[in-house]
Parts: sequence; structure tokens; C-alpha cells
Amino acid sequence: MSRHGYRYSAGKLLKHGVTRGDWPRMWSKPERRDSYDVVIVGGGLHGLATAYYLAKNHGITNVAVVDKGYLGGGGSGRNTAIVRSNYLTPEGVAFYDRSLQLYNTMASDLNLNVMLSRRGHLTLAHTDSALRTMTWRAEVNKLLDIDSSVIDPEEVKRLTPSLDVSSDTRYPILGALYHPPGGIVRHDAVVWGYARAADHLGVHLLQDTEVLDISCSGGDGPDGKGPGGRVTGVRTSRGDISAPVVVNCTAGWASLISNMAGVPLAITTHPLQAAVTEPCKVFLPTVVVSGSLHVYVSQTDRGELVFGASVDPIGTYRVNGTLEFTEELAGHVLELMPGISKMRLMRQWSGLCDMTPDYSPIMGFTAVDGYLVDVGWGTYGFKAGPVAGETMAETIATGRTADLIASFGIERFTEGDLVGEKGAAAVGH
Amino acid sequence: MSPRRIPSRPGELIDRSTTVSFTWNGRAFTGHQGDTIASALAAAGVEIFSRSMKYHRRRGIFSANHWDPNLSVQVGDEPNVRAGSRRLLEGMQVSAQNVWPSLRFDLGTANQLVGRFLSAGFYYKTFMRPQFLWHSLYQRILRKFAPGGRIHWNTSTHGAYDKRYAHPDVLIAGGGPAGMAAALSAAEAGATVMLVEQEPELGGHLRWGANDDLEVLADLRSAVEASPGIEVLVDSTVSGRYDHNWIAINQRSHPLAPERLIKARAGSLVVAPGLIERPYVFAGNDTPGVMLAGAVRRLTNLWAVRPGDRAVVLTASSEGDSAVADLESAGVEIVEVLDARSGADIVKVDGRGRVRKVHLGDGRTLAADLVVTATGWTAPTSLLNMAGDRPVYDPVAARYFPHALPDNVLATGGITGDGSIAELLAHGRETGELAAARALRIRHDVLTTTARSTSPKGPRPETVPDDRIPLRRVPHPECYRSSTHGLVDFSEDISSKDLMQAASEGFDSIELMKRYTTVTMGPSQGKLETVNAASVLAEARQVDMADVGTTVWRPPFSPISLGALAGRIFEPVRRSALQDWHEANGAVNLLAGQWVRPDRYGDPMAEALNVRNNVGLIDVTPLGKLDLRGPDVPKLLELVYVNRWQKLKVGRVRYGAMVGEDGVVSDDGVTGRLAKDHYLMTTTSSGAGAVWEMLEDWLQTYRSDWEVHVTPVTGGLTSINVAGPRSRDLLERLVGGVDLSADAFPYFSVRTGTVAGVADCIIWRIGFTGELSYELHVPSGHALHVWESLLATGSDLGAAPFGVEAQRILRLEKGHYIVGQDTDGLSKAPTAGLAGLVKLDKEDTVGLPELRAAFDRTDLPVLVGLQPDDPTVVPEEACQIVAGDSNEILGRVTSSRMSPTLGRSICLAQVDPKLAAAGTSVTVKLVDGSRITATVQEHHAHLDPEGERQRV
Repeated sequence: MSRHGYRYSAGKLLKHGVTRGDWPRMWSKPERRDSYDVVIVGGGLHGLATAYYLAKNHGITNVAVVDKGYLGGGGSGRNTAIVRSNYLTPEGVAFYDRSLQLYNTMASDLNLNVMLSRRGHLTLAHTDSALRTMTWRAEVNKLLDIDSSVIDPEEVKRLTPSLDVSSDTRYPILGALYHPPGGIVRHDAVVWGYARAADHLGVHLLQDTEVLDISCSGGDGPDGKGPGGRVTGVRTSRGDISAPVVVNCTAGWASLISNMAGVPLAITTHPLQAAVTEPCKVFLPTVVVSGSLHVYVSQTDRGELVFGASVDPIGTYRVNGTLEFTEELAGHVLELMPGISKMRLMRQWSGLCDMTPDYSPIMGFTAVDGYLVDVGWGTYGFKAGPVAGETMAETIATGRTADLIASFGIERFTEGDLVGEKGAAAVGH
Repeated sequence: MSPRRIPSRPGELIDRSTTVSFTWNGRAFTGHQGDTIASALAAAGVEIFSRSMKYHRRRGIFSANHWDPNLSVQVGDEPNVRAGSRRLLEGMQVSAQNVWPSLRFDLGTANQLVGRFLSAGFYYKTFMRPQFLWHSLYQRILRKFAPGGRIHWNTSTHGAYDKRYAHPDVLIAGGGPAGMAAALSAAEAGATVMLVEQEPELGGHLRWGANDDLEVLADLRSAVEASPGIEVLVDSTVSGRYDHNWIAINQRSHPLAPERLIKARAGSLVVAPGLIERPYVFAGNDTPGVMLAGAVRRLTNLWAVRPGDRAVVLTASSEGDSAVADLESAGVEIVEVLDARSGADIVKVDGRGRVRKVHLGDGRTLAADLVVTATGWTAPTSLLNMAGDRPVYDPVAARYFPHALPDNVLATGGITGDGSIAELLAHGRETGELAAARALRIRHDVLTTTARSTSPKGPRPETVPDDRIPLRRVPHPECYRSSTHGLVDFSEDISSKDLMQAASEGFDSIELMKRYTTVTMGPSQGKLETVNAASVLAEARQVDMADVGTTVWRPPFSPISLGALAGRIFEPVRRSALQDWHEANGAVNLLAGQWVRPDRYGDPMAEALNVRNNVGLIDVTPLGKLDLRGPDVPKLLELVYVNRWQKLKVGRVRYGAMVGEDGVVSDDGVTGRLAKDHYLMTTTSSGAGAVWEMLEDWLQTYRSDWEVHVTPVTGGLTSINVAGPRSRDLLERLVGGVDLSADAFPYFSVRTGTVAGVADCIIWRIGFTGELSYELHVPSGHALHVWESLLATGSDLGAAPFGVEAQRILRLEKGHYIVGQDTDGLSKAPTAGLAGLVKLDKEDTVGLPELRAAFDRTDLPVLVGLQPDDPTVVPEEACQIVAGDSNEILGRVTSSRMSPTLGRSICLAQVDPKLAAAGTSVTVKLVDGSRITATVQEHHAHLDPEGERQRV
């Protein structure tokens, strides 16, 4: 059986179980070519999705995705895997709703079960001003046909019995924004699904290949880099690759990679910490978010509680994590669910977030011809991954910025038109 | 009752004169003090302790310590208790986890029948169609199979835990021989030492050693006990090492708290955790009765439990040889000892629920009920990982060793090499001396470079070179896997075959393999499994172990309860100096950010009307207040406010608004100039902290040459707003040293004077309610006196308190917006109506480039006054303004109230600029879905837009 197009199914699972036959590789180990039509830097969700949609929707298959480590080793595998579309602005809703649509059909589109769990997403309100913001979001969502409403504490308790909704707590739960389609996805599976599907369409996935420089010519800066120039390829730890189009999908390292093309970015990199507990029998049916307490929590199908918080205030590329994070996290989670004090934290980690001043991404063309960016994804890159890939692929293939990302252009920083989903994106995941 | 308890052992931990009663799955059992839950059950003949995660295979004792993957049990309301190390207590209710309906008859066993179809990552390859079945059926079933104990979320111990800070010179993680020797030598060198041991008693592997080991242990213990410089913490785990040797210790069994988190800043950290025994991979290696050599040594010597009757021992090291001796002395028949160093091997074990037969590499089959393996060690280098080290694999010794450590972290004991007890002690002693020397130098530096009450004794200690004699590395065969496949990860039910399959599918880096198969992702986080997983990957890729690398061990070293991390509940609420009075006088409270404050005392409509007609008092202490002093204050104000500040005269106050770098309104308030170089800034209540931090950020980092001193005085000054047409009459009776007449004290002025005899009160004449009003900032110690004097003196004027709700009504009647309510995270300055305030020709202001761009735009929403055409309908705040019957969004109502003064509903709203003209009719969609019409007003203010009431 040829590897390309090998489809997974219950039948195949039975067959392999009976014959004990080997499964084919999910993706191949291709021989690197000297040139590609498109080189995508960063083998995470965004880079792989962009490659997949280039091949799938536009027939552009002479594409390489290069990564200095393994696939999905950055933010794609370190986030807390939450998806939702109950944003605050019509533009935000349209963008993230498209992403949620792609997540909804992803398992069959990519022939890999990404274990989407639309279990319902609760954003708790502890103050009357938070409740007002929840009402605002719900009212916008309703007008845009997004399933979203404000519910009272009794309903919160019914949906999630382990929450303390009594009124005498320090942070009483006055209500919540309830978004039934929100939920979690197995984030690694999304990466592998895109990688496998892109590979099957002919895209080259080059792991352990670090980009050392981006080659340019004709630009204003040194070595032909910078505005006015154009991209000619990349220099990697495994040799030079020439390409007329280079796409930066490197999240936490985005500004360092972009400097290689002479395109500075208005980005600072901050760690975002997360943690997971030992497994316990499933008792938490929904995704629970508290903006006031800077915490979000869900329980995996394996029984572990996965926690996230807000980004660390100090910019750094280190991912060591801090004790204070776990202390504050535990304190806040127990304010919401005092009955879980005997659960044990098993592991803490952090990932790097590429933060922009307006909490919105930077996408599309730059002043260097052929050099495109899909960066600045901060703390919300996972839920946007599919639509970001789809729109970046469209932008590359058509040479025209896709409508959905028109407001995310890099020029807004010099022309003074910062956009923002701050109210929705900066808190709550 | 205890068929497997053997006669007294020299090193046993149990006190045979005691009886401890407990239950196991509802049945009554007894053990002794000193027993673990597992040893007491094993002594009573219990062989099955749990069912495995995926296939629900029967599991028995495997490593008989904290890391045993098969001994997680439920104790009362506590899940996932490690029965291999948790000491037995009277009355414990212990039960098996992850079984249904019972440990003996577990229906999950059905998974074994289909096990061949449940290979690594099987769930990624099926359940894709039809999609709805995944949500409605498959996933629900999968979630039922989640492992672990049960959380009793109805009972809470939140807040019962405690924390402590410590500052030892030397902190030692591990109380084995090397760790104890290090503690003694460090203390002798003059260092304060904290010695932390995970088990309830010191000694490490000496505890289950022979008689001469026990003698060494007794000497070490008495020496440690006699040393005043050593604090011993047993039953405590060093759970994390963070930057600058910030160390987390989880102390269990503290008399005052279930667990205590000790946070220690250590000069030197000595890592001495010993070694963890590595399982051997072969078919049936998780059958009950297969144990590690250390397990049988601990069971026999510490708890006097005979682990089986007929044993086959596979050994590649002296540990196996010692196990043989221990088993013989416990009366276990040794069927055969297989020496892995000369090629002997076990390929398979048969038996359901207990080992029956052992198949050897040479084709023979032996009958036995106990299989003991001693095939190598894993160095638990977690704490070294956390200090930045990446340990390196040594094929000769078949384990990982520390590589490059920072100066303030040292390793000793088995983690660094092999040796006799004497050699381990010597290395420990030298390490302790070195750790002390480095720590004392750090202590000296700290005492000399920061202001302290004590100064260091003597000169700065010299740098001591690291000339320790390294421990040897005894050659050890690379014994990882037999010719058959067996379990690599016992907690996750992952076999070497699963790992091979994953590698062949392309998950051929250790990180990808981990994520795909979940190997090492269970509760022990790879303490038992990591090295075997790496060896299987090396085999699959046909490369050396060293080329495979390892995953990174992250905190915590072993899991730590959320209760311990949280500690006591510390979620304070701020109260003004008048809050007691409010509560004694009928106030209904409101939680507003950090503060609790009165929302109302009675009817807020009446409170509002009293302000319009007479005079009202409101406690506005939460208003952020910053005392600014220095010659460069005007520069700072110019920088952070959008308007001009250079010419503000002494005695005047001015309104200012701030925007972020994105041009979005972030805060507002008034600032007054009290004296030449002295200003008082007020901020919003919610923004008080953020504005202070922002000012300090500028002053400390970007403008450090400016001479400005900022002091937050929010709580130090109690703020009282006296509002209403009779407010001047009231104050004239109480204020001294200030001429309150309109000419002498005009609108937007500030004076300092005496109120009710209290000196140094700051009085400014401003208004949020739209009435003649004064804001008093009174030293908080005298606030109650001033407040009560105002009420008593003004009783004939109608003086009465009003709460936040009345203030919200009043400000909305007047059309004053609230940052964060009527503006939001998208509102640039023009939306808030700040066109007249912003000065775009200023040299520098935070957000200036964005402001310039924003004022060129014509599409930004506009804040307007809005009145529903039906005056009895009050639209909910946040409901949307739409285009007629369509769903096109054109704005939203940001504030709404019924106005007692006007007798109608009033609103502020953000609308699309094409709807902003006065008289425009708009459609408002209420939360219940119905639509009403409303009319845009000429002004934000619904009442007195010219401001005549407040300028009298």
C-alpha cells in the first residue's frame, strides 16, 4: 500500500490489530531540495496549517516547512487547547468563528481524530462591571448567530457543580457568559493532522533544520535586507534554500527571525505559564475561565486538570517557570473550587507568547517583497490556527491580502490604526 | 491476620507493640505503627492493589516506595495517595482506584480483550465519522476511563495549609548517607543547614542495609541530631528549584497543617536524592509478583514482610546480590539467580494475578511466585534540570550523570557516581564543605552590600576550589529490554511495542514520542520510565542512547497538593476608615475591585434627589490618590495626560485623561497643585494601582533623571464628597482658614484648611454629580470625626449619606462618562469626546502617534446622550443599537438608569458616527430580543448641560 493517502478508520484499526502489521509513517522524511516556491519558517500549528491550505486550496505543493526542533514543539504543544468564538467585535467573531468551523470538521477533513470536545465554555463574572461586559459579548454574539448567553449562578452550578457559587466568597460568582460550542481540542493532534495531510499533498517537513538567516537583495539595509528589497531564500543549519516566498510563523521567536529580513516587529516576547494536575475521575464538565482571578481550567479526557493564567509581566525567552505562578494559581483555583485542595499539581511549564501592543496579530505582506508574517499571536494563537493558515495561504497564492485579515497588516503600526480585541482577548481563553 | 509478617528484623520500622486499625475496600485490617499502607496490606496477604490505567490489568507491589506506579489508592477524600510511602494511621479508609464495580471483578478488564486494537494513539485513528457520535458517545465513554481517584469536591480543606520562609546557608535535598555527611560537614564549617528527606526517617538506602550499614546510620543520625546547626525536615520533599536558589519544600505531617510549603532562599543547594531503580522490560513485567530488588529489600528489612515464597532473581548489580541474601534470610526459597552480566535473561512471565512461571532466555521455564530484577538505575536529576543542567548519558555505567552545574548547586551521592559507604560519606563531606564555603561567601556579600542590623564577622571567605575526589563509575551492562516486549510506562500502560510503533510512524524524537504515546506523562513524570523509553527509541532508530536525548524534567519533583501551594487564604478586601460606620448605618455593600463600599443605605433614588435638593455625603476613598512632589512633576503630567499641565497654578485643579500606547483611554481624574512642587493626582478607583505602576515605570526606567517622588496615599486620605446646593452652607459651619465664597474659591480650585478641627485637609471644588460640591481629603485617622461632624452639623440642612448607586444616577444625569464602562478596550480618545482636551501639538505624550491618527479618522464610534422614546423603558446596559430590523450593529448602550430628577429613562451610548447627530432616532435591541426606539441628545448631560448648578 502506498503511504500517500493512507487513510485511518475503525476498519484499519481492526485490520492492524488482527495482522499486527506496521502502520505507515504519519509523515515522510523527505530529501531537502535546493529551492522551493514557498519556505515556511516554524513547524507549529500556524506554519503547518498554512502549508496544508497552500497545497489543498491552491495547488501550491512545492513548499517546505522548516523547524529548528520537532513539529509542534513551541506554543502549539504548550497552550491549554481552548477553542471558542464568543468574541467582542464583529470582526473578531467572524475570524474566530471561521476557525471554529474548521475545527468542527477537522477530524474528517484531515482524517485524524483531533478529539474536539465542545463541552461548553464558561467565563465567570465576579463584579457587576464584568457582568456588563459579559452581557455586551452575549448581545454581540447573538446578533451574529453565535451561541452565547449570560447565565445566573444557579445555572452555573447546574453546569459545573464543583464551583462555589455562594454569595459570601471574596470573588462571588454573579453569573457567567456561557458559550456551548466552546471547548478543547487535543492540540498535538491538530499539529500532526496538518503535518500528515500536508505531507500527503507533497509538502516537505524539514525538522531539526534551524534558519540562521533570511537572504534578501535590493533592500535599504545591510546585505540587501530591509524595505524595498526582496527575499531570495533562507540559510539553514543544513544548507541554503532558495525561495521567492518566505513566511515567518515562529511565534515567540518571531521578532528575531523577522530581524533577519530587516523587518523589525512591534513585538515583545513574554512567557505564559501553565500547569497540570495528577488525574482524577472526571468531575469538571466545562471549560471555566475567570478573568478577575486570571485563571482558566478544564479537565482532560485523561482526568487531569489543565490550568493556565495570564502572561508573565517581564519579557524573556526563558521558559523555566516560577513558584509564585503555582502558588497564585492554586489560590485562585481554590477560590473557585475549594473542594479540590487535595488534588496535586504534577507539572508546570511555560511557552513563549509574541505580544503586540494592541493584542492583535500581524499578518500578511511586509515592506520586503516575498517576506510574509503570521506572527503576534500572543496568547490566542491556538484557537486561530486553522483560519490563520487558510487566510495566509490565500494571501500567498493570490498575492492579495485576504479580507478576514485586512486589519492585521504590519502597516498599522506606522499609520496609527491599531486594532484590538483587548477586551476579549487579553483576559479569558 | 498477618500471614506474611516475618520475625523481627534489625532495621525494621514497625512497632510491634502497637496495633493500627484501618479498612481496605470496606474490610477491616490491622497493621503496626511504622507500616506503610502497602506494607500492612502485604503483611496481611493482599497481593492486588490496583488496576492499570488502560487495560485494567491487576497490579501488585512493584517498587514499594513513593514512586511505585501500582500503589496509588484513595484514602478517605484524598485521591492518589502513595501507599508505598504513606504511613498507616488509625482509622484510615483505604480503597482501590480506577475499578468498577470492584478491584476483584473489574469490568474494565474487557479492554484486555481488545487490547491489540488499542495500540499507541489508536484514538487518533478512529471515531472520526459520524462526527456527532464522537461528542455524544465515544468521548463520554473515554472520559469514564480516566484514571485516578475521586475528588470529593463538596468537602474543603482550602485554607488549612500553611507556608513558611527560610534562609539556610546550605539546603540539602536527600537524607541518605551522602546528604547526612554533607549536612554535618557544612554545619561544622559554620553554615546553617536544612536537611530535607522525602521519607519519614533519615538514612536512605542504609535503612534496609546490613548490620554494619545500620551501625553507620545510627552514628550519623546521632551526629545530625547533636548538631545545632542542622534543621532536619523528614517526610518533606524539595519539590522545585527556581532562579537564584529559590527552593520549594513540601513538608507533610506538620502538626498544625496537613501540608506546609516552605520557601527557602538557599546559599547553596546540595542535590543528593540517591538513585531510583529501573524496571526491566519483558513480557508480563507488570504481573503481580514481579518486583524491583529494592522493593523486596525494603519489604523484608523495613517492614518484615515476606514478599513471596519462591523467587527468581535477575541481577546485573550488587543490589540484586543483596536482595538474594535478604530473601533467603526472610525464608524465601531462591529458585535461581540469573546473572545478567553473564548474559542470563528473563523473556516472559506467566500468571494472572500472580507470577506462576518464568521463561528464561536459555529456553528453560521455572516455577516461581516472585521475580526480582536488579537491572540498573535512573539518576533523578530533576532538581539539576531545574538549575539548567542537561545530564549526559554514560554507556559504561548505563545511566545519566550531571554535566554542568551553576556554582550554587552541587550534587553528591549516587546521582554522581558509585562507591562504598565510606566513599559516599567522604564525597558527601567534601561536598558539604564546598557548599558551606560558597554559601558563607554569599552570606558575607549579602551582609556587606545591603543595609543590615548585623555586619559580617571576619573577612570575606576565600573562594574554595572544587577539588573533590569524584565518585567512581562502576561498569554496568546496558540492561533495558529483553527479547520480548513489555511495559515501559506502568502508570500509562505503554509497552515497548507501542513505543516502537510510534517511532516507526514518525514520532521518532523523544518529545514527539512522549506526546503521541503519553509515555512519562503520568504521576511519576518519568522517574521510572524515562530511561527505558529513551533506550527503546535508540533501539528503534538504531542510534546510541546519547543521541536520543531526554525530555526535560520540570517542577515539581513529585506532585504537590493545590492546598499546600495556596496556603492560607489571603484575599484581602480594602475598607475605608468609614466602612464600619456605613455598615452600622444600614449600608448595603458592593464589592468593587479591591474595595468593599456602600452601594446604598436606603432608596438610591431618594438619596440622589437629596443631593439635587439639599446636600449629600459620599465616601469616595477608593478613588486612587497619588502624592507627587518635585520640580519635574509638570513634565510627568505632560507625559502621561493628553492635555497640557505646564501652566497649572498653585491652588488650581485640572481634569486630565490618559491613553495607552494604542490611543485607547486608560484612566482619568483630576490633579491639583497644592504648592510649588507638590501635587495631588487622583485616578479611577480600579486604575489606582496600574497608574502608580505606570508612573514608576517611567520614572525608574525611561526618565530616571526626572526629580519626582510618587507616594500612593489612597488609604491614607479618606475622601468625602459633599454635594448639593446646600453643601457650601454646610462647610461654612465647619471649615476653618479657607474662604469658601464663590469668588475666593471658584470651581476647579484647591485649598488646604481645617475641617471640624482637623488640620491639613485638602478641599477641592469639583463635581461628579453636577451640583455645587466639594471633595474633602481628610487624614484617615480623623475621618470618622469629620464624617460624623458633617452629618450632625448639617442635619437641619438635610445632610444625609448616599451610596455608589445614587452617585451613578447623578453622574449619568449629568452625562459624565466612566472610563471602562462608557469607554472600553477599543475606545480611542475621540470616542470619549476628548477632542477639546487632547493637545496634538505637544512634544511627547504616551500614545501621541495613535492619537494623531485617531483624530484623522471619521469612522470611530461617538459617545452620545440617548433617551428612549418610551420614558418608562430602561434598556439594559450593554444592549446593542442596531440598524432597524436587521442584525447590523451600530452601537451599544453603555450606561442606563431611571432618572429621579427627570422622571424618565436616560442613557449614554456609543454609536456609529452617522447616528451621532442630535435628534437621530436609533433602534435598541433589548436583551429579551424586543426592539425599541430612542433619540440621540444634543449633549451627554441630560440635566443642566451648561453647568450652572455647579458653578454657583
